[in-house]
Amino acid sequence: MHQSVALRPSLLRSILRVAWRDIKILVRYPTWVISLCVWPVMFPLGYLFTYRALAGPQNEGLSSFVQLAGTSNYLAYVVSGTILWMWVNVMLWTFGGSLRNEQLRGTLESNWLAPVDKTFLLIGAALADAAQMMLFMCIAWVEFYLIYGVWWLGSPWHLGLVILASVPSVYGLGFVFAALVLWAKQIGVAVNLVRGTMLIFCGITYPIAVMPGWMVRVAEVIPLTHAIRATRAVMAGDGLGEIAADLWYLLLSGALLIAAGLLALRFIQQRIRCSGTLGHH
Amino acid sequence: MMSRAKHYLRAAGAIFRRDLRIFFRYPVDAIFWVFEPIMWLTPLHFMSRSFAVGGQNLGLAGYTGTSDYMAFLVLGGVIGSYVSSVMWSMGFSLKNEMDLGVLEVNWLTPVPVVIQLVGRSLFNLTHTTIKIACTMSLVWRIFGFSITGSIWPAFLTVLPMIIGLYGLGLGIAALVLISKNANNIIDMTHFMVNTLSGREFPITVLPKFLLGFSLAIPLTYGYDAIRGLLLGTRTLLPVATEQLLLVVVMAISVFSGYLVFRRIERRCRATGNLAHH
Repeated sequence: MHQSVALRPSLLRSILRVAWRDIKILVRYPTWVISLCVWPVMFPLGYLFTYRALAGPQNEGLSSFVQLAGTSNYLAYVVSGTILWMWVNVMLWTFGGSLRNEQLRGTLESNWLAPVDKTFLLIGAALADAAQMMLFMCIAWVEFYLIYGVWWLGSPWHLGLVILASVPSVYGLGFVFAALVLWAKQIGVAVNLVRGTMLIFCGITYPIAVMPGWMVRVAEVIPLTHAIRATRAVMAGDGLGEIAADLWYLLLSGALLIAAGLLALRFIQQRIRCSGTLGHH
Repeated sequence: MMSRAKHYLRAAGAIFRRDLRIFFRYPVDAIFWVFEPIMWLTPLHFMSRSFAVGGQNLGLAGYTGTSDYMAFLVLGGVIGSYVSSVMWSMGFSLKNEMDLGVLEVNWLTPVPVVIQLVGRSLFNLTHTTIKIACTMSLVWRIFGFSITGSIWPAFLTVLPMIIGLYGLGLGIAALVLISKNANNIIDMTHFMVNTLSGREFPITVLPKFLLGFSLAIPLTYGYDAIRGLLLGTRTLLPVATEQLLLVVVMAISVFSGYLVFRRIERRCRATGNLAHH
């Protein structure tokens, strides 16, 4: 009994091992550095030029946008939405698909046999992904400033706070997503469905007021809408008081999503153990 | 010669059937891919609404001559789908086969690798065409748009453009063989080519230094000519000149893409790193 306890690896050590493994795999393919630097600048380009085309050569259409969005600075408006959406998008492919990737690589069953709580695989992957994404965010904001000339009137600490408050809801969604993908065994459709829903509802590139009423109500439930709204408010110079409601919503929804993700993982773990489909493609 | 052609056709047919079987093996994917373009078009529809004055996009009309942004966007989406289909099916299929561990086995069959790649992309082109037809009818029902020009001249413009894309696809496949994980490179190239060639906006809004890049991409003239033919928008060059340009680029692209791929393929066979991840 004493010996078995001594041999049992700690959960923390297992989590760190998984995180370190994922970082090593990431660094093994150097093209990720290019995408880390290029995507934040490249992705909003299409939207920015579409804005310019829709505004018209004499800004014929801009008055309508200003009325709905409350700002004529569409540059800052677009980059603040797209950067948060890109975070969710990358998280879904990497962290959300981490268990499925292990399944495809053929290592899931052997890792699943490790005598620790199975959440170590997900938490480790989340740590590696979060480290990568925080670096991505820093690079992105510096590039927005240097290349697009985007600046925010509010405190940079408040912006950091909004991003930190968004972490539980983003990775909570990832927990639920990873568990469901493990069960459904299809990541492409699932990612497109989730990121597409967010692209439509969360007001990433347009004010949500332009949508029909029922769509606005759906948008208000999704945490990303609150993260984007708070970011735009900070950029416009608002203080903590103005964004407090959004921050509380982000923290609360994050806690709920993490709990839902853990429950989903436990449920799916039982299901695939009974059906013996853990390693199936 | 005839028997060899027949043999290659049989091989391409077998690849087509295999991909068809895999496609229907995941029915959720099969259904979802029809709806997926709507997820990309809907945000742009709402964007255009947020700039609309009296229901019309007068700003766009100032640049192009049409205020129907959805029609402008849908035509861009159609061409963009073919670009994606060729780029991903040729490049990504190799990566897929590498991951599944069947690349070496398939290359040992007495069918040239280029024929195998073309076989894979044929399925994707068929799949894309069906998807486009379904999506266009859905978008027409949901958002509404109108196309006023004749379809056949537009079809004859698209054809050399798609064949020309095969040259680019072969180049990307060669890149996959060298870098082993070219997803990022394909993704970025695909995105930049589609964005700068004006899939979603008229390229006349671009700043001068980007306009130079845009005018150097042959695809730009494809988007422009097809919109000119079907929507009556103002084109960069006369439509006939743009069509001729597309035919010339098609010949150069296919020839150079083939040469590059053959060279890299021979190198991989010599170094023996074909199946390395």
